[in-house]
Amino acid sequence: MTGKNLFTQYATYPNTWDEMCEGSRIRNQYSKVFEDLSKLSIDTLDLKNKAASDLFMNQGITFTVYSDNAGIEKIFPFDIIPRILTGYEWDHIERGIKQRLKALNLFLNDIYNEQNIIKDNVVPAHLVASCPHYTREVFGIKVPHNIYVHISGIDLIRGEDGTFYILEDNLRTPSGVSYMLENREVTKRLFPDVLSHSRVRTVSNYALILHDILNNLAPNQISNPNVVILTPGIYNSAYFEHTFLARSMGIPLVEGRDLIVDNHKVYMKTTSGLQQVHVIYRRVDDDFLDPLVFKPNSILGVPGLLSAYRKGNVALVNAVGNGVADDKAIYAYVPAMIKYYLNEDIILPNVPTHHLSNPDEREYVFKNFNRMVVKRTNQSGGYGMVMGNSASDEEIEGAKKAILENPRDFIAQPIIKLSTVPCYIDGKLQARHVDLRPYALCGPSGIQIVPGGLTRVALKEGSLVVNSSQGGGSKDTWVVDL
Amino acid sequence: MLSRMADSLFWINRYMERCDCQLRMVRVNYILDFDKSVTTDYSWQDVLLLYGYLTQDELEKNAADTHAALQYLITSSKNVNSVKNLILRARENARGAQDYITKELWEQINANYHVIMNPEMETAISGQDTLKILDDLCNQSMMYSGVYENTMSRGQGWNFMNIGRLLDRCYLTIDTTFTQFKKINHDVNNPQDILFWKHLLLALGGYEQYLKTFTDGVHNKNVINHIIFNGSFPKSLLYCLTRIKRYTRDVIAETRINGSDILNRKIGLLASKVEYTDIDTVINVGLEQYLIDLRKGLNEFSNDLTRIYFSYA
Repeated sequence: MTGKNLFTQYATYPNTWDEMCEGSRIRNQYSKVFEDLSKLSIDTLDLKNKAASDLFMNQGITFTVYSDNAGIEKIFPFDIIPRILTGYEWDHIERGIKQRLKALNLFLNDIYNEQNIIKDNVVPAHLVASCPHYTREVFGIKVPHNIYVHISGIDLIRGEDGTFYILEDNLRTPSGVSYMLENREVTKRLFPDVLSHSRVRTVSNYALILHDILNNLAPNQISNPNVVILTPGIYNSAYFEHTFLARSMGIPLVEGRDLIVDNHKVYMKTTSGLQQVHVIYRRVDDDFLDPLVFKPNSILGVPGLLSAYRKGNVALVNAVGNGVADDKAIYAYVPAMIKYYLNEDIILPNVPTHHLSNPDEREYVFKNFNRMVVKRTNQSGGYGMVMGNSASDEEIEGAKKAILENPRDFIAQPIIKLSTVPCYIDGKLQARHVDLRPYALCGPSGIQIVPGGLTRVALKEGSLVVNSSQGGGSKDTWVVDL
Repeated sequence: MLSRMADSLFWINRYMERCDCQLRMVRVNYILDFDKSVTTDYSWQDVLLLYGYLTQDELEKNAADTHAALQYLITSSKNVNSVKNLILRARENARGAQDYITKELWEQINANYHVIMNPEMETAISGQDTLKILDDLCNQSMMYSGVYENTMSRGQGWNFMNIGRLLDRCYLTIDTTFTQFKKINHDVNNPQDILFWKHLLLALGGYEQYLKTFTDGVHNKNVINHIIFNGSFPKSLLYCLTRIKRYTRDVIAETRINGSDILNRKIGLLASKVEYTDIDTVINVGLEQYLIDLRKGLNEFSNDLTRIYFSYA
């Protein structure tokens, strides 16, 4: 069977935006890929599929699943068909994310200093105070250039009518950017012709931009600062990404035990003695950064790190305490923030969000539970999420009980049917739901977003959960100029 | 460079070198094992003693059982020095040094890892294709050396890696030689035929070179000359120690850390024991004592190296 049959068999879901098909018409951005893939046989596609997973395996782009004391190496599933956005769609997304990040940075600066937004009653004080990630320990700390969110991975989804919504702000230590970059490298091997015919915007300068930003954050404008990445170590599930970034930027990858703080300065232990470190891109969560201030039993962090940070002797990327801004309850106030700080209307809308601490909204959500998704405000990665349309009665009752006990810990949103794209699964093209996580970099000279981002795909038929921990995979994401 | 990095690089190569030597020795032993009736009784005892920690009972049981010995030496998770565990630990260290070593080297170690971790390996190693598997594993190990030699940047990391590799090689050369001479109570004057030495020379990978170099004389003395003093034999102590000395000097010159002079003195002293001596002196001291002294010297050097450069925890 050739690719032609493959595509004619492609079935979309009802009432769902499909990124390739509009009825029976193929959207313009997909027409070239459609044409080229139609010429390939299933055997060829199968070979390409196999080649892709071998590439990931041999490069050690794996995460380890532990069972029976034996670590099993698994790859993060990759689907070979690219997800394609038009330059026009992308420019809209880019404007929306830049606007949002500008406001969120101002919010963090405000919340850890003057707190005007609370005094002006735009964001309720109790909501901030009750946020587990609001970090009193960093109140009043001046950060370089007032930038808190240097690296963000804001999640977008696309509703039934093709509108992009912001689903989640990831402003702490978002991961996945290495997959975005590696996916493109794999596509270059799988579909070199299609790629070169398609005028796809490049993503390869990500590491250069990031390196430049990190260099510019060094205190006192040191000309040749020591910049490092701090990793929790080889057992962390994102460890591959940490080495990937260190290698791409040519900077050392350090663990907590490689660093030491003396007289409020951070040093790394080298074979030539101690060397001062000026900028740390840390992939260790706030709670584990400094056992003297946060979790006292953390061995991943560096005792005294926060004191060096407070003195301005070291820059931390992202800033400490960002969790207050990507809290799912605060999320609902981002449109108001944008109005308050920028006096602009929001470009990329939020998904409507119900606070369950409000009794009226709670009652509404409980009545319409089958159309709702309930999320924990302080969790990510798809953990602690209940989908009202697919959960069992028991799960729903359990969720209701938990909500009544701690209403502040939950929000509810109407279930949005994520858009679908074609995936090559079991020798057939099948529609699967996707989201989009573009990676934005924010430095002294502004915000830059490499075109595209990571498309995560729910590989189970009909599933709306794209998280890698819950059976998700990823795709290469193209922004093409038609 | 980070102390932890230097430590990892040093150990990657110690494990990989040990793995290489062990595979070679297992392969030789496996082949010679077929010659039982012809010459002396080859058993697995020597190899098991060198690369394992068995009790006397277990040792005797495994020494006569080729399958059990192979599994213990190659695929066992219980033996810390099994090929599997050595590669596992080399990879663990490589993982922590992934941003320093080349992508090619990482992928090679990773490939070796996937081969040895194959769940079918455990049964296959004692099946019909044992020799084929041992050959493949040896080839993979040589691939590692090639990739390492061709892609790693020369510098501090390279120096630490080489010190690690040569140090482990030194230990293995000493230990293997010691084991073989022990059979004749370290009596150099008790002449043995070439078949007695063939095992040792094959295991160290220097049999052909030996035959070419030493065309007459007593084997016992020639073997000592070859293994200790033949500078063109890459497993000889002279070769290893003079190079460790050189790489150590480079490291010291580059790092200029307080107290590193002691390393210079220690390795210099150790190398001179091989450079400025000859076989008669060794025989006068007694081969056994000579080897024990060298080993002790290596331990001290290795401890100081660790203290000065790798103590980061």
